[in-house]
Amino acid sequence: MGQIVEVLVAGLLLGAVYGLVALGLNLVFGVVRVVNFAQGELVTLAMYATYWLYAHYGINAYLAVLLVVPALFVLGVLLHRLVLAPLQDEPMMQIFATFGLVILIQNLLLGITQGQALSIDWPFARTVIAFAGVNVNVARLVVFAALTAITVGLHLFLRDTMPGRAIRAVIQDRRAARAMGINVDRVLLLTVGAGAGLAGIAGALLAPIFTLSPAIGGNFILAAFAVVVLGGLGSLWGAYIGGLLVGVVEACAGFYIDPALRQAIWFAIFIAVLILRPAGLLGQVGAEEVGFRGQQ
Amino acid sequence: MRLSRRAAIRLGGAGMLAVAASRRRAQAAEAIRIGAINPYSGPMALYGTEVTHGYELAVERANAAGGVLGRQVVLLRGDAANPQQGISAVEQLAPSVDVFAGTYLSAVSNAASDAALRHERIYWDTNALAQDLTQRDLPNFIRSGPDADAFARGSVEAVKGLIAPALGREVKDLSVWIEHEDSIYGSSIAAAQRTLLQAAGAKIAGVGAHPASAIDLTDTVLRARRAAPDVFIETGYVPDGNLLLRTSRDQGFTPRATLFVGTGDTPETLSSLGAAFLEGKLVESYPRPDVAPAYGPGAQDYAEAYRRKFGHDPIAPQGLTAYVGMQMLLEAIAAAGSTEMAKLRAAAAAMDRPLHSYATGFGAKFDAHFQNIRALPTTIQWQAGRQVTVFPEAAAAAGVRLAPLSGRG
Repeated sequence: MGQIVEVLVAGLLLGAVYGLVALGLNLVFGVVRVVNFAQGELVTLAMYATYWLYAHYGINAYLAVLLVVPALFVLGVLLHRLVLAPLQDEPMMQIFATFGLVILIQNLLLGITQGQALSIDWPFARTVIAFAGVNVNVARLVVFAALTAITVGLHLFLRDTMPGRAIRAVIQDRRAARAMGINVDRVLLLTVGAGAGLAGIAGALLAPIFTLSPAIGGNFILAAFAVVVLGGLGSLWGAYIGGLLVGVVEACAGFYIDPALRQAIWFAIFIAVLILRPAGLLGQVGAEEVGFRGQQ
Repeated sequence: MRLSRRAAIRLGGAGMLAVAASRRRAQAAEAIRIGAINPYSGPMALYGTEVTHGYELAVERANAAGGVLGRQVVLLRGDAANPQQGISAVEQLAPSVDVFAGTYLSAVSNAASDAALRHERIYWDTNALAQDLTQRDLPNFIRSGPDADAFARGSVEAVKGLIAPALGREVKDLSVWIEHEDSIYGSSIAAAQRTLLQAAGAKIAGVGAHPASAIDLTDTVLRARRAAPDVFIETGYVPDGNLLLRTSRDQGFTPRATLFVGTGDTPETLSSLGAAFLEGKLVESYPRPDVAPAYGPGAQDYAEAYRRKFGHDPIAPQGLTAYVGMQMLLEAIAAAGSTEMAKLRAAAAAMDRPLHSYATGFGAKFDAHFQNIRALPTTIQWQAGRQVTVFPEAAAAAGVRLAPLSGRG
């Protein structure tokens, strides 16, 4: 029994990593309707920024959030202004442009680091809480808590605030939203900024856990794409539930079947869901048209 | 006929250029040119450059001693971070080089050596590990460094000759968990380890495979912890090795001995885990410059030459193996009197230098597949944040002692 709990906890904590990376991806997709392939690289940039602040200024990763998130937000705004907005009438070109950013950011980091792997050996990230025979790393627990808090926060923001309602209006009908006096362009701009900011949070919280390499974003993003599709394109809670589900499936498959098959198993489930319920578990049919749904 | 002043100047200039070009051609013809195929860009650039640093030091040393066959040796870099780039680098360099050397990446070695064969150039591999590189029996492929099998044998020898005595146990009383990343690199070494350990009578507590890009290895560690092995062996890369150690720490997995194979002995691992946690852990790796002088004559000289030229300590032990590999290549060229493929291959086949002839402790004797059977890895132990060679016993420098292997006592 104890072992099952250990595996489930490991799965939930892993799922929280996937969910946290998937949130920003899903937000941008849901509102702006662009699949941002560079989301993983934005997480990578945030991880390196966190490392840099820790290594050179001794700023711990959780304080670094206060600097990294605004920086990533600005980067997101620039990304929208300089890359996505000029290509807004050419969706395919937008996707290619974000893919180009992947290569640009990876090579930039390669040039700077020469490919050397970097790590933050921060004492806090080594702390382990033992509860009922289950060991939980505090840094991973923080990721889980952050994912839950951000998901709830975004839900309330979209439901109860005027900017949140404006976003929902833009999602439902851009033309009508514009007619109602909503500055649609500004909503799109701020949403891409917020998506990058979420990547900033993910990067700062993940930096103490992983060994940094320029291509590490790719390790997260493949699973994050699967989470987005599995949970439901454009669904806030879909990203949350989907992330945790993928994490638990992966951990159980790795422990009870074979670690070498864990990704193969959840990809098999992913394909099955696509066939049986193409909109994802919590997605709405035609979500690619409807957009982000966090208010329900 | 009268020449105007301008025409005379033009004629004179052209003449000087022609003489200079002819001199350059003569010098180029005199030099022995070696194409160094390694990743100088991409995620492995750090290590590819380190391998070529080893070549540079060997070439400088040879040139300072008058060159080879009375000719200076020149290195030309060919950047190859993947097999396609390996082929392209060879095609680009082939017209202007006599021999190729490489490679940090086995996949690049595979493709680049094949391309070199089309140009009838020897591909002298100093660092690639994949077993099948020599099994192809390409007529131009020679490997001077250890292969995957040597690492598997070396790690099992460390279990038998180092870990078992340190734990006060017979090998047959040890249970061993074999963990590896799931590409051909990790899988082939793990398969050989399993066979050799079973032959030695050790109990295999389990074998686990994981992707090198894994972002969570808790399930792997929980499986290994459940099996409660005495010895945990892991073959992988830096990121998955670091993650595995961090997860082991979180989950309280403390086998009596931990032996990493191939990686785990660089500053990247030290910065990730810290000296205290690494204390006592073992790594089967390329020989390091701290080997005993009688085991690897000249290793210290290499380290000093490296520091003089590059201004810091060697980054990884692969450079020393590359240095020795280049020395062997230059010796083979001298013995062959040529860089011609057939002659160089014959010279390599005739090489017979005993163990401990080179700074790595290697000898030179090539088998029928042109694999150097006298190229052996060594075992280091993390002691107070330093990598100390501890096995084979002869490789350990005077005064070196094995620290407790850490883990549960």
